[in-house]
Amino acid sequence: MRAEDVRPSRRQFVTSALGAAGVLVAGGAGGVAIGRAADGGSSSQVGGTIPFYGPYQAGIATPAQDRLAFAAFDLTSSNRHEVALLLGKWAAAAARMTQGDLIGAVTDAPQAPPIDTGEALGLGPAQLTITVGFGPSVFDSRYGLAGKRPAALADIPPLPGDALRAGISNGDIGVQACSNDPQVAFHAIRNFARLARGTAVMRWSQLGFGRTSSTSTSQETPRNLMGFKDGTNNIKAEATADFDKFVWVGSETDQPWMRGGSYVVTRRIRMLIESWDTDFLADQENVFGRLKNSGAPLGGKTEFEPVDLVARHPDGTPVIPADAHIRLASPHAHGGKKILRRGYSFTDGIDPDTGLLDAGLFFIAYQKDPREQFVPIQRLLGGSDSLNEYIRHTSSALFAVPRGLSGPGDWWGKELFG
Amino acid sequence: MYSRPLPHARTLRTAGTGAVVAVAVAACGGASSGGGTAGASGSSRHAVVTISEADGCQVSATSFRAGALTFDITNKDANAVTEVELEANGRIVGEKENLPAGFTGSFSVNVDGGSYELVCPGAKPDSVAITVTGKAASSAGTVADLLRQGAKEYAGYVNDQATELVEAAETLRDAIKSGNLTDAQTAYDKARPFYEKIEPVAESFTAGKVNLDADIDAREGDVPAAQWQGFHRIEKGLFADQSVEGLSTYAAGLVANTKTLRKLTVGLTFQPYEIANGAQELLDEVAASKITGEEERYSHIDLVDIENNDEGAEQAFAALRPGLTKIDSQLTATIAARFAALDALIETYRTGDNPSGFVYYGDLTKADKRKLAAAVKAVQEPLSKVASKVAQV
Repeated sequence: MRAEDVRPSRRQFVTSALGAAGVLVAGGAGGVAIGRAADGGSSSQVGGTIPFYGPYQAGIATPAQDRLAFAAFDLTSSNRHEVALLLGKWAAAAARMTQGDLIGAVTDAPQAPPIDTGEALGLGPAQLTITVGFGPSVFDSRYGLAGKRPAALADIPPLPGDALRAGISNGDIGVQACSNDPQVAFHAIRNFARLARGTAVMRWSQLGFGRTSSTSTSQETPRNLMGFKDGTNNIKAEATADFDKFVWVGSETDQPWMRGGSYVVTRRIRMLIESWDTDFLADQENVFGRLKNSGAPLGGKTEFEPVDLVARHPDGTPVIPADAHIRLASPHAHGGKKILRRGYSFTDGIDPDTGLLDAGLFFIAYQKDPREQFVPIQRLLGGSDSLNEYIRHTSSALFAVPRGLSGPGDWWGKELFG
Repeated sequence: MYSRPLPHARTLRTAGTGAVVAVAVAACGGASSGGGTAGASGSSRHAVVTISEADGCQVSATSFRAGALTFDITNKDANAVTEVELEANGRIVGEKENLPAGFTGSFSVNVDGGSYELVCPGAKPDSVAITVTGKAASSAGTVADLLRQGAKEYAGYVNDQATELVEAAETLRDAIKSGNLTDAQTAYDKARPFYEKIEPVAESFTAGKVNLDADIDAREGDVPAAQWQGFHRIEKGLFADQSVEGLSTYAAGLVANTKTLRKLTVGLTFQPYEIANGAQELLDEVAASKITGEEERYSHIDLVDIENNDEGAEQAFAALRPGLTKIDSQLTATIAARFAALDALIETYRTGDNPSGFVYYGDLTKADKRKLAAAVKAVQEPLSKVASKVAQV
């Protein structure tokens, strides 16, 4: 029996993302997602497909899905054609997985391992997006690509407050899989790793169990593990001018292959949760500069009202403290510059040495030029933010995320390895 | 390590949707051995295969004269397709893998007269009937002949190892009997390789109460304490207790069990796919229990086991290689190259400082273990495709 005879397309389980908000597919992610769907945001439905092909890679402007599986790979083959084949296989597999199909052909050859590992069968695509980028190390001497390295892909310099672990930092290729179903996201990364065997190995990976960013006006701002709404004023998908100005690489790049792309910075930010939990409420609110329950800026009443950075108490002290996170992270503190935050809460169990929770924020930020955006922003935050007492940056990675793929037969990095 | 018996696959791949009956299954790969007749479809001995989402598997001509034939393939935009096969009666006689959308490739076969099917798994439609007329010039042998010959050679290899294993077990027994601990430890180091090369064969002799693999190779805790015997019981005495005390009975038992194994391997025949699966299992051994240091938990000579699992797997591959390369020369070359890389990596852990010839498991860093595991996986992934390709109809 060949593919067309069985072809257990996952599509049959999928409802359109544009369908009625009340229609949810089987295997949904539970109450949280249902609640959000009921808000009327088409983007927050559990099911549905996100187009894979287009001028930009999906997974950036796509309203943030609920779950993350991220992996960084190191290339072990020095053969350019083998790398090209891998990227070609990944592109074909991603095109299928994001549309709810198993990768490759479905055969019943009993003597051969199944081409798809199978754990996503029947789950639907759950808005799966797969986003791929190239790390600075790809442009070393191995593939003769030094001349193709964009200037904006400069190594991130040491920053204040870094406690980075090399083993979970950097990498040749970064892959972000986001979905509303954690198993669908994991399935994507697992099959990428399998397709890579012999050509690339996974260097590190990170699962994220809940989005911490809203990247669409249709989404509520989620809370981070400190219990705060952080990122209220994130760039939203609807603000296309902001995307052109701060996220998408345009004609200003020194590397034409990066046009339509972006640069992603990932930072594993461990929260010292137990310490935070013993801090008193007013101090917690001063650290963020927002009220814990409503998310309103200090001195305000509602979450989305403008942040008044100049307001002062009668005694002359600022209402939003000078070292509050909201103030230092505000575009006002950075000449109007913004980044697109797309992070996820994570936990990796407990710290084996201390028994304390190893959990926090896997920070993901997309931008036009990290030298002008993430680096100066983090330099200021890492040096002055009162939040630093409760967080540690334990990993760092940077990837140049190229343009979206035009259609079947196109693949990531064609201009580099083709 | 003691584990479940060889998982024999129960059914073989059947022919495609069309009821194609091959007149003669005597295809043998290798464009170099091509005959002198010209293709019926024209002067070219090349067929152009185009795979697309819209039209599926398309080929420029469907009938050819017997002899050498090359398929030049382009996967335009079919995301479900990564390979093309030429099948006769459901058996693969030639193929090209690594053809994701946007890539090109080719493969050559030497085909005899008969009915064939060109299959692009995942395409719609996924097959085209190919007719070959005439008779190909004779060559060194059919794929089936080569595989059969390889299987015979592998059976001989297994028998040789089993014979050496008995002798090494006897040496170990004698050293224990004489009471010389150092000699006994050395004899243990020297006996292990012969078992590690052919372990899946012993695993296949598990029926009812008889479990040769467990009797020879169970680790502490794998079986009830009262039944624990074999290599690792002896290992515990020699390396943990540092004494030969009470080991004579176990040594005698080991000799008896290895003799049983040798007897069972005489006249044993293998199907090519069994050899492929056996090779895969040997590498699974490395990945599952050697790389974790669980196998040789007292002597810490896990690298000896790793080297010999690798060696045994490579021998199995070598037996299939002449036939396999006619079916898929690129896959064969990939596996060979990955084996070579694994061999080279293992070699870096060789040392004259230890009686076993390798560094001890405890001296491996995390990075070493990761590298070894990745090198093993790099062999396993392409190797896992071999069984289905050499399966006989």
